[in-house]
Amino acid sequence: MQIIKDLNIVNLALYIKSLNSLVLGDVHIGYEEELNKRGVLIPRHHFKDVLASLNHTFYLLEPLLKKSKKKKLSNIIINGDLKHEFGLISNQEWREILKFFDILSKHCEKIILVKGNHDPIIGPVAKKRNIKVVDDYSKDGIFICHGHQIPTTDVFKKSKLLIIGNEHPAVSIKEGPRSETFKCFLKGTFKNKDMIVMPSFNPITIGTDVLKEQFISPFLNQDINSFEVFVIAGNVYYFGKVKDLK
Amino acid sequence: MIEYKLNSNKPQELRNILNPLIKKWFFSKFKEFSLPQLFGVMEIHSRNNILVSAPTGATKTLTGFLSILNELINASESDILEDKVYCIYISPLKALSNDVQLNLIEPLKEMEKIAGKKLGIRVAVRTGDTSASEKSKMLKKPPHILITTPESLAIVLSSYRFIDLLQAVEWCIVDEVHALAENKRGVHLSLSLERLQHLSPAMTRIGLSATIAPLDKIAHFLVGNENEVPRNCKICNVQFVKKTDLKVLSPVPDLINVEHGKMQDSMYSLIDDLIQTHKTTLIFTNTRAATERVIHHLKEKFPKRYASDDPTIGAHHGSLSKEYRHSIEKRLREGKLKVVVSSTSLELGIDIGYIDLVILLGSPKSVARALQRIGRSGHKLHSVSKGRIIVLDRDDMIECSVLLKSAIEKKIDRIHIPENALDVLAQQIYGIAIASKVHKTDLYNVIKKSYCYKDLTLKDFNEVLDYLSGKHISLEDRHIYAKIWVDEETGLIGRKGRMSRVIYMTNIGTIPDETFVSVKIAGTDHVVGKIDESFLERLRKTDVFVLGGDKYEFLYAKGMVAYVNASVYRAPTIPSWFSEMLPLSFDLALEIGKFRRLMEEKFNHNKTKKEVLKFINDYLYVDKNTASSIYNYLREQYLYAEIPTDKKIIIENFTDRGRKHVVVHSLYGRRVNDALSRAVAFVIARSQRKDVELGITDNGFYVSYEKNVNVSAALKLIKSEKMELLMNNAIEKTEILKRRFRHCAARSLMILRNYKGRRKRVGRQQVSSMILINAVKRVSPDFCILKEARREVLEDLMDMPTTKNLLKAIEDRKIKIKNVQTDLPSPFAFKIVLESHTDVLKIEDKIEFLKRMHARIMERIEEKAKAA
Repeated sequence: MQIIKDLNIVNLALYIKSLNSLVLGDVHIGYEEELNKRGVLIPRHHFKDVLASLNHTFYLLEPLLKKSKKKKLSNIIINGDLKHEFGLISNQEWREILKFFDILSKHCEKIILVKGNHDPIIGPVAKKRNIKVVDDYSKDGIFICHGHQIPTTDVFKKSKLLIIGNEHPAVSIKEGPRSETFKCFLKGTFKNKDMIVMPSFNPITIGTDVLKEQFISPFLNQDINSFEVFVIAGNVYYFGKVKDLK
Repeated sequence: MIEYKLNSNKPQELRNILNPLIKKWFFSKFKEFSLPQLFGVMEIHSRNNILVSAPTGATKTLTGFLSILNELINASESDILEDKVYCIYISPLKALSNDVQLNLIEPLKEMEKIAGKKLGIRVAVRTGDTSASEKSKMLKKPPHILITTPESLAIVLSSYRFIDLLQAVEWCIVDEVHALAENKRGVHLSLSLERLQHLSPAMTRIGLSATIAPLDKIAHFLVGNENEVPRNCKICNVQFVKKTDLKVLSPVPDLINVEHGKMQDSMYSLIDDLIQTHKTTLIFTNTRAATERVIHHLKEKFPKRYASDDPTIGAHHGSLSKEYRHSIEKRLREGKLKVVVSSTSLELGIDIGYIDLVILLGSPKSVARALQRIGRSGHKLHSVSKGRIIVLDRDDMIECSVLLKSAIEKKIDRIHIPENALDVLAQQIYGIAIASKVHKTDLYNVIKKSYCYKDLTLKDFNEVLDYLSGKHISLEDRHIYAKIWVDEETGLIGRKGRMSRVIYMTNIGTIPDETFVSVKIAGTDHVVGKIDESFLERLRKTDVFVLGGDKYEFLYAKGMVAYVNASVYRAPTIPSWFSEMLPLSFDLALEIGKFRRLMEEKFNHNKTKKEVLKFINDYLYVDKNTASSIYNYLREQYLYAEIPTDKKIIIENFTDRGRKHVVVHSLYGRRVNDALSRAVAFVIARSQRKDVELGITDNGFYVSYEKNVNVSAALKLIKSEKMELLMNNAIEKTEILKRRFRHCAARSLMILRNYKGRRKRVGRQQVSSMILINAVKRVSPDFCILKEARREVLEDLMDMPTTKNLLKAIEDRKIKIKNVQTDLPSPFAFKIVLESHTDVLKIEDKIEFLKRMHARIMERIEEKAKAA
């Protein structure tokens, strides 16, 4: 589904037609490992699920690529928080991140890694696969950054369309005493720019309920009542504006 | 064989066995032996297992210790006292341990004084508060009597240096059995006792309990099995040795035509009167929130009496700090408090000094609990226990009046003892493996001796071993999860991991850490209370809810904190949170149902008002005012609709604002109604493929739906033999299953509170119960710990066996079902609708639900577009 001109929702990722690029973020590799370290000894499914979700994304992407007469994506942009916890990368995380890169690289010319707040030390592992780590990525007026801080560069100021992650937006749908929470994309504005907030690619967690939780991203430190909600649950479901759901 | 001891021994028999020293000491303190002593002392002397059931203050503890002290003194005088633990005393309360130690050390000192020499009998306490140096001192010079808690006992049983001292324990006293038998702490202890008995095969077990039933089952729980039959045990039932003076009071003559404010004023005046006319009063409420509320109102309404600089009123409940509770206990003993208000924490036998009146605010929901609470007054065997139950509405009045009748007629409601709890089993097997290598078959046999595991299947046992050895995890990751190894060839089991001992010792126990959400006033750090995780999920911005008697508006949540606004004047928009409420016992519920039935018969036979009033007076031991209120209430229900009874379930249908409501008057207590209502809702939801809203109380439940629903047809569709399968499906998506799974995961040490030196701060990045349960479901939908969570919900929280019996009775037409149609809810239905614990039975697939909601919102958007 097209969320805004030139941008299509593909599973939990975004396909930018004009740039022939795919954006996904907040994968949080090592999520369960961190739980394990804290004494929550549940079996690990995270990485397996990430790969399955990735497969599904590429499957949904096929017809779009065909339509644009492309064989491969030009770029896959990982928009921050590839890794879950701050601090050292464990052996398993190292292995999983490399495998993740290897799968992505089969589908694109280039992987671009945008730094998030959880991965200040992602450098060495990215270097292993010759992947560039950047603070943000922009082209043709589209500006992609993780979203934990507001950039001050001119490129940012001049950009027309923002794509951020970080917040892991989700929305609770309620009827009577029943309430269910789903991941969602948000579409709104930030300082006269169009803005898309992407859900997390982490299959284990759902995210922040935009109807009642306080946001962490400075981009969302504003009235989001007129932001539009696109629920992701197998398909994409347009749910109107945030204020209509309250 | 388990048998009742019908006759007490003669005082002379006891005198004959007692050492002159202890005899001299005893009669310098007491005039004569108490009844519990006459029943119990000889049995313990003869090394027979016994269970003594008697009210608080009935000298139970000394009954337990008298023979033991006697033998230790004999041994000391003959100079054959060994350096070993002779007796282990276990109490569920740490505070009680210190009391007991003092109560042993003092008499020993006095006896030494009489003898003019040292006896050399050592008594020591080992609880979670005991320092490392004290522990190592115990190893060098073992106490002859070790006082401990269930948790510390399990630790001691896994520490190999201490085990040597436990090879020939002769007696084990379990105090406050009634507070242990009905929960998983008791299950845990039952296994520890078997571990201990395995080390000391000749050990005699002594159980001390307050009023409780059924005693033969409790005795079986205490002693366990040997060769698949119960070990011998004598039951000494001296429950009614204390006189009780018990009354039901209503704050106003007419409980229906009274405003809330007037009712409150009258109630607090009544409470104040009672406090002022007694020396020290203990008030029990059923929830912690109510405890705070009562104190607040008493101080506000009578500031001079209760809110002075040196307050004469205090609170005592589990949420308060240990220091605060200790200071309250101390002030109570010193007689400085006029009144103390408690929820459940003062039910157990810590010495709280002189109390001459116990007030129960609202129904205590079980006869045993009422007697345990009231027994806290007149803390001497020969004094009278005085209790007053203050009723708050008309259902409460009938309930408490029938409770009073049962108490006077000595009909004690039966408790439920959990069986085959796989989470506790996992924890204990880990503990056993830490102590030493053990053979699978031997392990299974020891476990099966516990009452709580006598029916444990080999399959369940093996599944727990699989879980502990990490069989569910790929070989590569197993080292992270495996706690034990199992050698399939030799059948041996042992501990795994260098950290195992530390992990076990720091995570032991069965009392769950609740994952509460703190409620804070926005912009401050002021915590006003706690709500449940699932309650937060239901809250929406601007929702108003009640917490601790005050209203709050929900603003937003951040992690595990909900921020609220305290100055709100709107009515609550979301029902209160009732999960704290005590369930009405099934036996008491039946008694109330029977009373209703007798009343209906009188009405059917056109008895005059005078005749009926006389019947109520005679039957219920109530005063005239109460009798007339009860008469009016039942008469109204009889004339307006029909009276539901123990043999007749009334299904009442009415419509409110377009929504169909069906109230099922099934007065069988919440544990039964929880199961019954969900089964009914599930059958309806399944046939309509839509969610059903339901509300549950002790007196019945309601089902609410868009269209007409045929509840009686649904009820008849539920077959008792299919109930298990049905209920497993019905609870699968509930919040309660997720929450209980988290508890079970903690008990089975899948979630560790303390790990690698980190104590997990509750609230910091709390993992949602959903993530936990999903991770395990994917291993297997029948994963043993998940299976345990389902069992806990169905058998411990709800009451499946009784519900099945009830359904059987409906099938056999021993219980009738009758439909009535009303325009407005009948008098009995009001409370069921208003005070239900509401829930929703989710049947609609999550995606179907989403699609439907999506269609609805699209419609709304289109309408708006048209309008514009």
